[in-house]
Amino acid sequence: MMRLVLLLIAIAALTPSAGYAQGVDVGEQLLARGASAAFADAVADLVATARGEGLPTDPIADKAFEGWAKRAFVAPERVLTVLAELATRLRAGRDATVTAGLDPPPGSVVAAAAEALGRGLTADQVRAVIEAAPAPEVAAVGLLTASALAAQGLETAAAVKAVEDAYRSGRPPEEVLELPSAVAGLLAQGLVPADVARHILEGGQILIPVTPARGPITDLPRPPKRPRRR
Amino acid sequence: MTDERFSSDTHRYLDGEPVDLITDDERALADRLNEAVASYARGLEVPGPEVDRAVMAVISSPARRRSFWRWFVASHVVMVRPALAAAAVIAIIAFSSLVSMRTFIGSESAREIATSGDSLRTVLVRFEVRAPGVQRVTLAGSFNGWDATAIGLTENRATGVWTVTVPLAPGEYQYLFVLDDDRWIPDPTAHAQVDDGFGQLNSVIAVGPRGVVRS
Repeated sequence: MMRLVLLLIAIAALTPSAGYAQGVDVGEQLLARGASAAFADAVADLVATARGEGLPTDPIADKAFEGWAKRAFVAPERVLTVLAELATRLRAGRDATVTAGLDPPPGSVVAAAAEALGRGLTADQVRAVIEAAPAPEVAAVGLLTASALAAQGLETAAAVKAVEDAYRSGRPPEEVLELPSAVAGLLAQGLVPADVARHILEGGQILIPVTPARGPITDLPRPPKRPRRR
Repeated sequence: MTDERFSSDTHRYLDGEPVDLITDDERALADRLNEAVASYARGLEVPGPEVDRAVMAVISSPARRRSFWRWFVASHVVMVRPALAAAAVIAIIAFSSLVSMRTFIGSESAREIATSGDSLRTVLVRFEVRAPGVQRVTLAGSFNGWDATAIGLTENRATGVWTVTVPLAPGEYQYLFVLDDDRWIPDPTAHAQVDDGFGQLNSVIAVGPRGVVRS
């Protein structure tokens, strides 16, 4: 009996709270991480305002944690400015999502739309990805994939078309997330993003590999091998 | 204490011993005292057998009567087998790590994608960075709330390459390596590097259902 009680006490002491990242107020989490009360309150106010507008608040909280983690070289005032800009982008993402026909818009799709807008996609391109998705709940997958492809250096038009083609290929929707890996493999083989983008826009395909270890499959011609230096 | 009015023989008489040398007055006084004591004793109420049973019940089962709080605050000697204690510690750490990882993976802020209602599916993603000469490398990103202390990498001293394998749900993540707690550096093998909004770069990977291919 005594050993059981001691074991339960030890487990209670060592087990982190399951609600730490989800259920607890973002201000409290920042305070727990050592942030000043003024900074935590300012972030909590931004989150409360976003929540009042029906925007997803997790991206704001996540960015606040990132800013606080980088406090050695990022001033709190700068973090608050970035959070306000993110809230503005979330509003634009919500508008694009609603325009695409998702009303009320799922929070995950709004967050992904905001991310895509931040990576250079236009509102029309965001709507195109959402409308190409086979179901509303997987539209976020396509938006994040297009965002990643754009970050890899592809033209946004090519990034959007690659996602649309993948959706229309009939494969499981979440497999579009393999596209950045496929493009990374092509870039590792010596292609440049412009080559990949042009191939996509001209109707070529970036086929999702069956297994990542075997590398990407494409009908793109392989670049000539460079002669070895001696 | 000795009462000076009584001789020692009178005291012996009061104690019930046979004596002959006390006076008649002393004998009469002693008899009255004895009668008074006997009369007082007859007036006392003698406890019944139920009181004995109640007292014996308390004495025979002390543990049952002791409160949990008294037991909880009292000192105890605990016998511990080191092997069992080590196994218990390992189990607790594994359990807490699982709960912690589930907590972060379950957050929408990690940009994970839950499809087909299968939110617990994860793939193992290996992170590595070459950083010879540093004392400590950790991994911070949107998958762990940017906690720069939670995920430590292990060094291969022969090559200076630090690695860690992390279970992640399919989705897109931003992250950085942290060297010696103060140098934040991107991952050159990530899918992309993006502006973090603070004037630096974050690394980006898109984790598919089958994992990640890096450049």
